[in-house]
Amino acid sequence: MDKKNFKDMWVYVEHDGKQVHPVALELCCEIRKLCDQSGDRLVAVIAGQLPESEVEKVKQCGVDAIIAVSGTGYERYNTEAYTNLFTVLCNKYKPSAVFVGGTVNGRDFAPRFAARLETGCTSDATELIYNPETTDIEFVEPAAGGKIMAVITIPVLRPQVGTIRPGTFKHVPTGAKAKVELIKEEISFPVENIRSRFIDFRADAFDPELDIASCDTIVCVGAGIKDEESLGRYRELAKLLGGKLACTRPVVDRELLPYKLQVGQSGVMIKPKLYIGFGVSGAVNHVTGVDAEKFIAVNRDPDAPIFNYCDYGIVGDMDEVCDMMIAQLKK
Amino acid sequence: MLKILVCVKQVPDVDQMRMDPATGNLIRAGVPAILNPLDANALSAAVKVKETYGAEITLITMGPPNAEAVLRECLAVGADKAILVSDRAFGNADTLATSYSIVSAAKQAGDFDLIFCGKETLDGATGQMGSQLAERFDAAQVTSASLIKEIDVDNNKLVVERELETGIETLEVSMPCLFTMEKTNYPVRIPSLKGKLAAKKAPVVTYTANDIPGLDRERIGDAGSPTKVPRMFPPVMPEPGVIIDEGSVEASVAKLFELIKD
Repeated sequence: MDKKNFKDMWVYVEHDGKQVHPVALELCCEIRKLCDQSGDRLVAVIAGQLPESEVEKVKQCGVDAIIAVSGTGYERYNTEAYTNLFTVLCNKYKPSAVFVGGTVNGRDFAPRFAARLETGCTSDATELIYNPETTDIEFVEPAAGGKIMAVITIPVLRPQVGTIRPGTFKHVPTGAKAKVELIKEEISFPVENIRSRFIDFRADAFDPELDIASCDTIVCVGAGIKDEESLGRYRELAKLLGGKLACTRPVVDRELLPYKLQVGQSGVMIKPKLYIGFGVSGAVNHVTGVDAEKFIAVNRDPDAPIFNYCDYGIVGDMDEVCDMMIAQLKK
Repeated sequence: MLKILVCVKQVPDVDQMRMDPATGNLIRAGVPAILNPLDANALSAAVKVKETYGAEITLITMGPPNAEAVLRECLAVGADKAILVSDRAFGNADTLATSYSIVSAAKQAGDFDLIFCGKETLDGATGQMGSQLAERFDAAQVTSASLIKEIDVDNNKLVVERELETGIETLEVSMPCLFTMEKTNYPVRIPSLKGKLAAKKAPVVTYTANDIPGLDRERIGDAGSPTKVPRMFPPVMPEPGVIIDEGSVEASVAKLFELIKD
């Protein structure tokens, strides 16, 4: 395989027919920077119907071209039609890289079409670097539970496929290009060949307590939490501060709190004004998920890495410090 | 009778891994190897199907010879037999090569109606294996599945629930089908004494690369892995923040609140 024959970097634009998923805009903005270095064109791939005002948002991220796909099979997400779509498109246009938002559905089909193309797929990179010497993308991501950072490359094969979690990169549009090429494709996937047939969808009853992504104040408990009972004081503190309770992966593993409250690379990315971490060790895959204006850490271990990420820290018993905060806030 | 395959992995308990501050390398020695936590939930889902509809459960794993331990652990909670894919030739494999190796080995044991995987592993955490296995089995796939609602064995289809970001999707899927399981409805099962005894006697077959006819050596191990890890480095640590120590918890908290009051 000659890598030089593979050009352009693609972003899959996930949408629900009404709105573009924010991760697609985040990816377009980030990949724009890579393309500026590599000389590739940035191409957005949109399947199915999407209002022109939403397409405009994609254009504002500086795409050079849009591949707009019509045909059957795209009304509602399914593995088969989307796997087929990217297999067909990649074989035809030979992109250098394909980026897919790491939503539940993005993570469903991206590895599958990569396997069908027999190419490499990475997931959850937190940084992307273009290496001009190798012409490869370096996918940088926390490994081994965040103890170490790994650089992953796909040095021989193309396209380089990567899924990226929502919230990893910022949506900072640089403006639309003077000319955006529109490529129209009709690729129909026979609906009867879709092996997973949609029956219904029940939206979760909106539970504001689980909506931590856009919350201004987060009280986060880590592996240091003793038991279920001691969670009460952290809930109370969160409430007093007008914020919400969140946690790290070990707390979810112990089934003390639900996965939707897990902050970090494999959970929710948060951007609060105030973050207070109690008994959080500071594993990279947790802290990469926290973009806080004020970052407070409380831990009994003075050597815990979390103190390297905080603005202010208190070394001490987490429960004791929490109780004291509650007492002083109530005064 | 339904034929079920459950894919499991022995992983290092990453929570117990430490980094050597001098070299920046991970210290692997002494870190216990455990059954990947979410695989235990996937196994629970498979056993539940077996209890409800009747099924034969085969386990498969790829790893060093001592990965037999996690297979025995799973046999003790209701699996019937197990395949261990083990050979140095399979080593250093990424998900693409691993999926090829596992499916090539599994096909030696016949066809499967249902394939269960954990949603992701504790160590690699790519969450890609399910989709790539499904592709190579040419099976339908339901990732982030949370509930196997109903199986229509005669008509070769089933109804399953899947967890999306904002709610639950219900799908009707044809078999063969692969699931990556959420743990929502399938708590980890504790083996009974009887189960433990049965597990000791249950058959575990080992496949080396030579035991799989037609295996393409270019598609396994390092050679078959398109993704490479050219380097690792310790996380770049920012400069430590300000540690507040005013002599007592009361005074320190007061000082903190003073500092952040805006």
